[in-house]
Amino acid sequence: MKLTWFLDVPELRRALGVILVLALGAFLLFPLATLVIWAFADVWRYPNVLPQSFSFRWWQWVFANGDVGKAVFYSVTTAPVVTVLSALICLPAAYSFSRLQFPGRSFLFISLLAANAFPKFGLYISIATIFFELNLINTFWGVVLIQLINTLVVMVWIPAAGFDSVPRALEEAARDAGAGPLRVFWRITLPIAMPGIIVAGILAFLAAFDESQGTLVVGSPTITTMPILMYTLVSNYPEPVGAVFSILLSIPSLVLLLVARRYLIAGYLAAGFKGR
Amino acid sequence: MGVGDARPSWSKATPRPRVAGSHLREAALGLVMALPPFVVLLALIVYPAVEAALFSLGQVPTDNVAFSTGMHLIVSKTLTLEVYRQLFASSFFLDDLSITFFVTVLSVVLVLVISYILALYVRFGVGPLVAVVRSLYLIPLFVPVVIASYALITFYVDHGIVQAVLTHLGLGYAPPIYHRAGIVIGEVWTSIPFAVLLLGSGLDGLPQEMVEAAHDAGAGFFGVLWRIVIPLNVVPAMIVVTFTFIGVLGSFTVPYLIGPNAPQMLGVAMQAYFSSYQQPQPAVAMAMITFLLAAVAGGVYVWATARSGKAL
Repeated sequence: MKLTWFLDVPELRRALGVILVLALGAFLLFPLATLVIWAFADVWRYPNVLPQSFSFRWWQWVFANGDVGKAVFYSVTTAPVVTVLSALICLPAAYSFSRLQFPGRSFLFISLLAANAFPKFGLYISIATIFFELNLINTFWGVVLIQLINTLVVMVWIPAAGFDSVPRALEEAARDAGAGPLRVFWRITLPIAMPGIIVAGILAFLAAFDESQGTLVVGSPTITTMPILMYTLVSNYPEPVGAVFSILLSIPSLVLLLVARRYLIAGYLAAGFKGR
Repeated sequence: MGVGDARPSWSKATPRPRVAGSHLREAALGLVMALPPFVVLLALIVYPAVEAALFSLGQVPTDNVAFSTGMHLIVSKTLTLEVYRQLFASSFFLDDLSITFFVTVLSVVLVLVISYILALYVRFGVGPLVAVVRSLYLIPLFVPVVIASYALITFYVDHGIVQAVLTHLGLGYAPPIYHRAGIVIGEVWTSIPFAVLLLGSGLDGLPQEMVEAAHDAGAGFFGVLWRIVIPLNVVPAMIVVTFTFIGVLGSFTVPYLIGPNAPQMLGVAMQAYFSSYQQPQPAVAMAMITFLLAAVAGGVYVWATARSGKAL
């Protein structure tokens, strides 16, 4: 009998699928669920499977903490600046790669991959030594620049795939009907390419907002964004503090995910990793 | 959405009737628009990497305080490998290197296997559960690494919830947190979305007729898998291997929070040398070693894709 006989029995195959889904769900979600329970736990001592008592007092503690306010401020200022800067730098390039012919086009497109081809932490250490020289260490703009690196590829490749998806025939028809090139761009090209740009914007924002490695090297101890404060909270305070703060830190991701879930097409997400 | 079917635009020329001279204007405009991200790349990646490489080889510019005020500096007029020689003579570093290697290789293998199973399930599975998996595997993409690491710690830690449940069931438990197994769990957790996305988009490109024809010809599940699916999906798999390798190699947060105090993965060791010990030179040399390892992985990827005759 073949080793894989069970795959030919529909019931067993279905059971295998269920087991796979449950295992994946448990692996991915149970740790996050544990964190949520911790955020509302007052006393949770081993070997209890659930907390002995619940309370909100750690929420009060976190909201009353001055460092938290500072971290929220740095996070909500750096991440949007990074996203806008990245869009300004990358979106024209994305359009250019998709629609224009110029020398060195494929080389430049592929070379962007260099931003992802370096082991990140080694790169941050190298950049930090240069930033010392340029007086960018412990500054807002130093953090913005280091967070910018992780947005380059998604901000070029995904919008480029978006521009690719605009049918040329449509643009040409609009041209034939007498629309000027700018009008065609604003009325036809941009709206159709928009989902790709939105996905790229969300991923760039989250990459900046969640960045915890380069920011630590370049920004700490002055520019402590929320992920950076998390290092301190995790090591110096009881579990519920880190758990409460984790939930606060997840809010932007959750909101963006819900608001934009119809744009988050796997095809566009994949384009951010493989070009098109 | 036609993203998957769109031919890569950088590889195709699209001639359009136009007036003479507009080619040149288009080329100039295209180049000007495409250059800014490339300039950022040169300034923030290539230039620092080259400077750091020279620094690790004993070239210490006096005008850079970060370089010249470091402790235990090795300064040389000519290029020297002394920094590296001292690193490799240190048993601490060798332990760090070996745990880095262990975690990286094991994580890559696990990510590849788990993600392949998930990607196959999403591509070929039927029923309502497939949709569940389709959104489930993306979750780590939207969870900051710090939170993921902390969640994994609270879940798997000594006297944590897993141990509590297992104890109630009368089972033993060896907590992986603060051990290298814990780092592997963290790296796998955070790497899954990228790997499944890439493998999945590769599988989406497989011709359905080919799979069905092989099935009709009597090939079983594994027959189709070995003979058709895997060989036709080599390039995405190589990309996953390469970039997971580079990602784990260059990670800091997961090993810093979940890993043991000693030995440490190179990312953690680099940070300690750079910030705590005020020794930027060995830190930068370690960075170079990770770059070199990544270059080897990248080389293998280029070699494999060149052999398979397909580009990215």
